[in-house]
Amino acid sequence: MHKIFKNDTWIKPYLARYKKLLVLVFFLGVLTFFCAIGLMFVAGYLISRSATHPYNILVVYVPVLLTRAFGIGRPLFKYLERINSHNWVLKVTSLLRKRLYTTLETSAMFLTSKFQTGDLLSILAEDIDHLENLYLRTIFPTVVAYITGIIVILCLGVISWLYAIFMLISFAIILLFIPLASVAMRGAAKEYERSLVHESYSELTDATFGIGDWMISGRKNGFLKRVTKNDSKLDASNFRTRKYEWNRDLLVKVMFAIILIGTLIWSNWFFNSSQALANYAAAFVLGVFPLMDTFIPVSQAMEEWPMYKDSVLRLNKLSNDEIKPNPDQSAANPDTFKEIKMNDVTFNYPGESVSLIKNVSLEVKRGQKLAIIGPSGVGKTTLLQLLLGSLIPTKGSVTIDGINVTRLQNNQAKWFSVLDQHPFLFNTSVLNNVRIGNENSSNEDVKQAIKDVGLEDYIKSLPDGYNTNVHESGVRFSGGQRQRLALARILLQNNPIVLLDEPTVGLDPITENDLIKTLDRVLKGKTVIWVTHHLQGLSNMNQVIFLENGSIKMEGTPSELYKNNPRYRKLYAMDQGIVQD
Amino acid sequence: MFDKQLMSIPGVKKLIAKLSCLATIQSLAIILEAYFLSVAVVNTWSLKKITALLLPMLYFFIAFVVRYSITRIESQITDRFATKATGEIKTQLLTKEFELGPRMISQIGSGHLITLALEGTDKIENYFNLIILKTVNMAIIPVILLIAIFLINFISGITLFLVFPIIIIFMIILGLAAQAKSARQYKGFTDMSNNFIDTMRGLKTLKLFGLSDKYADNLYRVSENYRKSTMSVLKVALLSTFALDFFTTISIAIVAVFLGVALIDGKILLLPALTILVLAPDYFLPVRDYGDDYHATLDGKNALTNIFEILKIKSPTSKIKLSDFTGWNNTSELKISDLNFSYDKTSQALQNINFNVKGYKKIGIVGRSGSGKSTFLNMLGGWLEPSNADQLPFDVNGKKVGSLSQIEWQKHISYIPQDPYIFAGTITENIAFYQPNATKQQIKVVAEKAGLMDFVNDLQAGLDTKIGESGRGISGGQAQRIALARTLLDDNREILLLDEPTAHLDIETEYELKQTMLPIFRNHLVIFATHRLHWMQNMDYILVMDEGKLVEQGTPVELVNRNGIYKELIDEIRGADQNA
Repeated sequence: MHKIFKNDTWIKPYLARYKKLLVLVFFLGVLTFFCAIGLMFVAGYLISRSATHPYNILVVYVPVLLTRAFGIGRPLFKYLERINSHNWVLKVTSLLRKRLYTTLETSAMFLTSKFQTGDLLSILAEDIDHLENLYLRTIFPTVVAYITGIIVILCLGVISWLYAIFMLISFAIILLFIPLASVAMRGAAKEYERSLVHESYSELTDATFGIGDWMISGRKNGFLKRVTKNDSKLDASNFRTRKYEWNRDLLVKVMFAIILIGTLIWSNWFFNSSQALANYAAAFVLGVFPLMDTFIPVSQAMEEWPMYKDSVLRLNKLSNDEIKPNPDQSAANPDTFKEIKMNDVTFNYPGESVSLIKNVSLEVKRGQKLAIIGPSGVGKTTLLQLLLGSLIPTKGSVTIDGINVTRLQNNQAKWFSVLDQHPFLFNTSVLNNVRIGNENSSNEDVKQAIKDVGLEDYIKSLPDGYNTNVHESGVRFSGGQRQRLALARILLQNNPIVLLDEPTVGLDPITENDLIKTLDRVLKGKTVIWVTHHLQGLSNMNQVIFLENGSIKMEGTPSELYKNNPRYRKLYAMDQGIVQD
Repeated sequence: MFDKQLMSIPGVKKLIAKLSCLATIQSLAIILEAYFLSVAVVNTWSLKKITALLLPMLYFFIAFVVRYSITRIESQITDRFATKATGEIKTQLLTKEFELGPRMISQIGSGHLITLALEGTDKIENYFNLIILKTVNMAIIPVILLIAIFLINFISGITLFLVFPIIIIFMIILGLAAQAKSARQYKGFTDMSNNFIDTMRGLKTLKLFGLSDKYADNLYRVSENYRKSTMSVLKVALLSTFALDFFTTISIAIVAVFLGVALIDGKILLLPALTILVLAPDYFLPVRDYGDDYHATLDGKNALTNIFEILKIKSPTSKIKLSDFTGWNNTSELKISDLNFSYDKTSQALQNINFNVKGYKKIGIVGRSGSGKSTFLNMLGGWLEPSNADQLPFDVNGKKVGSLSQIEWQKHISYIPQDPYIFAGTITENIAFYQPNATKQQIKVVAEKAGLMDFVNDLQAGLDTKIGESGRGISGGQAQRIALARTLLDDNREILLLDEPTAHLDIETEYELKQTMLPIFRNHLVIFATHRLHWMQNMDYILVMDEGKLVEQGTPVELVNRNGIYKELIDEIRGADQNA
């Protein structure tokens, strides 16, 4: 735990944020418990004093007043404490969300496929929620309990150091020894339980997607056995954990019984000299009870730490993963673009020996169209990221008009437009979604772009027209329509180089053909680099390269390749379904 | 007091009876604990020697330990019950999942189902653990303590008795107010978290358009707005806890003052007064416990409702069984007449399908996306039942049945979708899926036939290599080959259903796979839905579907020559790109 906190940048720094509010939260928390203790203490004294039959009620006037004050104070301070602690945590959460966003923005992670499916994102978003609970359920109660404990012992020290020492030892056992023992004894088990849950999760996910196979296999018991195989192990471990917790809770209670007995013995010894003093015996004994409420949650709270540990570790790991841009940024003008070149580029991810791209050179002049084809998983997407400058070659370089592309990163959004497999539509209107291409464009420009990509009629047919929210009101855009909206954005962006990363994957062939025709029509005059895995629509390209295992296997114009390259011809025939077996 | 669903769970009544007994004993222990503690304190107050305290302290300690030991025992028996009951609910849910099959599950939502089966059941277990024990405690302990207090001092009893309904009323009123507000707030939360995830998922897009910096502030602003609205809800929602606390502490304070006055007047002695004061917080404790955990139990209650809803869905099973069907052979015949199906009342997914097939044939199904190809295949796999099942639209070897949802039929089919089911395990285990008892030799033979050996020979552990989650990742082509090997291993699976198995493969991989598949297709009835045209030449017969209807059928040659919808479709698929 210590090690994690030493290098932490996601929890510690924020404890210093909104310091006044945080101090107020702790102050209110401590005050709540002193009111609780005070109420029982004064009540005990009040009835003891009354039992001595004072001649006048005024003698107990002050205690009567105090019981009322404490009685009102306790719930009031507790309420204020909860309001303010939530407020503090939510304020910090806002900062954390922004922090997560900016961290991801500068990290290489958003290029990965995990990021695109959103798995990682939901995990990270949940991590932030976990931190919220870490503050509210572990850190705050623990801090308040410790402060309360220390103040109680200091006060007792003034009255009787012997009693103070007795309480110190008892508190140390309840607040320090037992919680740490809990983490030590059951921490590993909790991690084990989580790994079992994780395994069950993937097992059930697999099986659910394969349910058709299971059904026709007729093996109902086999299925149940497989998806519940961890359950008995998990139940057994859970039971051990809970048994430990029940026993621990009982032990803490017994500790309180010991404190109460200690208090009884001490008060009998300490207050035995006069009746006036003996009136305090009940006060001290009753005053012990509210401590239970403060202290018992601490051992439970500490035990939840392993649950948060992963979240804290994951977020901290994120911060170390930033890409540093080339400091020497060029201000070259995209309007004067002449050519983009790849000079003998080789690439492998750091620490991996396999090169995804091997000695690739290519050149695309302004207005030319290049297609990169090849089977899936041969590094076509990597090649595009190298062209964009999002990845940096291990060897060789990518240049635009002689300038290394890493020096154009600040202006990347002015040079390149990208259309990939899963264009992202934001939860806003059609108009706003397209306007992302160029925030300064007028409604007319946006509508024109939508018309250009052939969506005008469809959008107009929707009840809310251009203001239709893309996620709501039952309107679901199909794969082809999403691509068209994304394409409209690119038209507004109006950049010299357009990179197409298999935009037609997952579309049925008819939709695919329509989209390709539209692409051809609207991207006339642009420099286009198009990655694809089949040959549909290649006839309009100036140049085709065939990528296999990271290097170029064939290249030429489509008609040359068709004429001279038997493999290309065969591919073409297969694609058209005119091959004879 | 309990939810009806909860009472329907076997064993719950017995548990409640047990817990009630324990709670009663516990209440007595609480009273004794308070009494002996007070005796000890009063002895000190009367300036007695320490020896006068020894026995009361001992009895106090015993009562105290008994009290909390009962809590410990209660937790354990409740937990036993909760684990067992949750396990049974989970088994029922998973059994249902098995029976419902792929199509129904995708309607429910596979993600939803998985979450329910894992996290949902956890929440239910928590719900069982909390709700039963806390409710029983709340029903018994305050009553017994109150009786004791009444017997000791009437006025204190009245005070505490009157506070109870006030607390309940206030909690209900404030609870309702908060609920109304938090329903609106929940929408705020979803909007906020959607905006957050939306912005993050769109990060790549924002970056490509040079807008990513700007959105960081936007994100912060949305999050801050959410905080403000949350705070306004919390201010109301936390009032119910405040009310609970307030009335509890105030009533203790009032009782203390009443007792003080009674003591001064000599109407009561210190011992009973002190006993009442010690008992007062314990009197309120069960209500506070219940209130604290009330919100935690809501999730479990919802999960339970959701699961019971799924369990109510009717599983597809045919009433008439194909008990004589022993497998598809060269003389087998399937006739489908006027088959209809709809997912909902508004639209027909399949309309009047009529189609006959005899013997080993290769049937291709073509059509645009959404034309009903997959639905039709699901019907043939028995995962869906026709909406007119009572008209017995299927006829297998002369026997009329309402649907093919029966193991007699299903044990003869195999199904290969785009992503075949690969589970975490060795390649051998994956191949032996339909035949878990197959020998190594048999597996090797089918792996060979399915063209897996080139890939397997390159692996260190060969067929024993672990694949799937946390094992080796395998490509789409290899997954298809494993699915083929699986089919080959089971001699009884003569019917092959293929749902666009090659749609996401590149053309060369697909072509290699095709060479493996064609020989396997011989001696099988093959039903093959695809967009890839080159398969058509290998089919004996083709079905063309459009908007849920079978619009054309015939041999490939017939259909091309007819110059009808099939020809149109092929031209469209091929595109204008004929002269590269």
